[in-house]
Amino acid sequence: MNHRRLRRLLIVGSALLACACSSLGVKPWQRDILAREDMQLDSEPLDNAIDDHLYFSKEASSGGRSFAGGGCGCN
Amino acid sequence: MQLKPRPTVIRRGLIAASCVLLGSSGARGQEVVQTGGDAETDGGQIDWLLDSALAYYHENGRIQAIEPVVSIRKDDGAGELVNFNLTYDSLSGSSPNGALPSNKPQTFASPSGKSLNAAPHTYTTASGQTSVVSAPIYTTSPGQLPVDPKYHDQRLAVGGSWQIPWSRLTNASFGGKVSYEHDFLSLAANASIAHDFNQKNTTLSFGINDETDAVRPIGGAPVPASDYALFEKSGNKSKNGAGMLLGLTQVMNRRWLSELNLSVDRFTGYLNDPYKIISVIDSGGNTTGYLYEKRPDARTRKSVYLENRVAWNRASAALSLRYMTDDWQIHSDTAQLRVRWWTAGHDQYWEPTVRWYRQTAADFYTPWISSAASSYLTYASADARLGAFNALTYGLKYAFKLNDALDQPGSEFSVRLEYYQQTFFNKLPAPAALQGLDLYPGLRAILLQVGFSY
Repeated sequence: MNHRRLRRLLIVGSALLACACSSLGVKPWQRDILAREDMQLDSEPLDNAIDDHLYFSKEASSGGRSFAGGGCGCN
Repeated sequence: MQLKPRPTVIRRGLIAASCVLLGSSGARGQEVVQTGGDAETDGGQIDWLLDSALAYYHENGRIQAIEPVVSIRKDDGAGELVNFNLTYDSLSGSSPNGALPSNKPQTFASPSGKSLNAAPHTYTTASGQTSVVSAPIYTTSPGQLPVDPKYHDQRLAVGGSWQIPWSRLTNASFGGKVSYEHDFLSLAANASIAHDFNQKNTTLSFGINDETDAVRPIGGAPVPASDYALFEKSGNKSKNGAGMLLGLTQVMNRRWLSELNLSVDRFTGYLNDPYKIISVIDSGGNTTGYLYEKRPDARTRKSVYLENRVAWNRASAALSLRYMTDDWQIHSDTAQLRVRWWTAGHDQYWEPTVRWYRQTAADFYTPWISSAASSYLTYASADARLGAFNALTYGLKYAFKLNDALDQPGSEFSVRLEYYQQTFFNKLPAPAALQGLDLYPGLRAILLQVGFSY
């Protein structure tokens, strides 16, 4: 996957989200699957935090899912 | 280990809370056992939830670390959420100092060293006694990557967040974090607000973050680009950062949730790694000396992050894509896929993960400096983390639920194993004296993690 392709994916994704309207979404009584633990965007906070720390200390990029701040002298 | 302030938590919390409140009865009807992990006793009182993990990290021939993490959370189910977390890191092993391998032995000083003199140091104590200690230096054998063999560090971080309902459709969140190492102190605070639209199918959020760091290197902060052999150091330094994040979460349909984040942050101050140096070589590739690295004193980063979650009856997938760029000319792409497979009873799951990452080099990254160019150096760093490389992560997690055994919803025991590997590209041709040496050794590491939630 090259940069251009990934950027294209992000643009398409952004456009999809920008089109959010009443045709998207569910009724309140249709949220059963969305209520599942594995459908929560922060379903694994400690896994993500430990991974983020690994990547923060070994790569030049961080954040995206949340703030990219440091809090560590390792980088 | 870092637990970053997360503006998205309130947006995620809104989605989660509304899902839990509106979907729990339906969830039971569809044999879905999880409703977000909130624990409520029979009397209706909300309990504190504990989330903990112990991680062991090991690099091939370099650093190893142990990281215990504990987080407690209380969710009243009506939008108020309180979280505290505590992290401790203990690192030891060998850390690359940035210099190149050589065909000759190379001698370096540990950070506390004040010279490259190998003679033992003699001290006179307050009581008048004479004490002799070996010089804080180390020697790297020919062909070996120069590493500080006595690297060690500990870190203690404490963080917390408080989310409160602002109105029926709006939540506010505040958080803070303190992280302490013997040579580094970080203070961070954040605030964010999230608003629901479209029958709570769309959530828009905005957050800001501010961070102040005190950099207190062992032996003092080196003067950037100064001659390593002169040990010019100038005490402590600081850096400051601020960032903002705009997020949009959209429920696409009953099985599909999407999130888009745009973020920007800017750090200013002392952005060097005080322990990193650069080899200076002559035209033949022979090392003639070393310089301390010198990075710009400001960095602005921008990123776009897209995550999609899709669920089936016994499986779910989370695909995230990120593009980041900064004014150091680093561009990076990240793609990660996590797939979770539940067993028939929905009481256990397997979760394989694959992550692909690629970054270009900072415009001042250089593995070495020619002696002819060293006198008019603007910026330079040989820190491999600023180089051009690909990285792959493969992981597998297994977890089983303890809801019945412990009579506590959300209880879980898990084991996770990850393998991480970096491979460099855009390698410069090696000068004659460096032929045959591994100038871009890359990195291989494993992570083993045990988790328990109650």
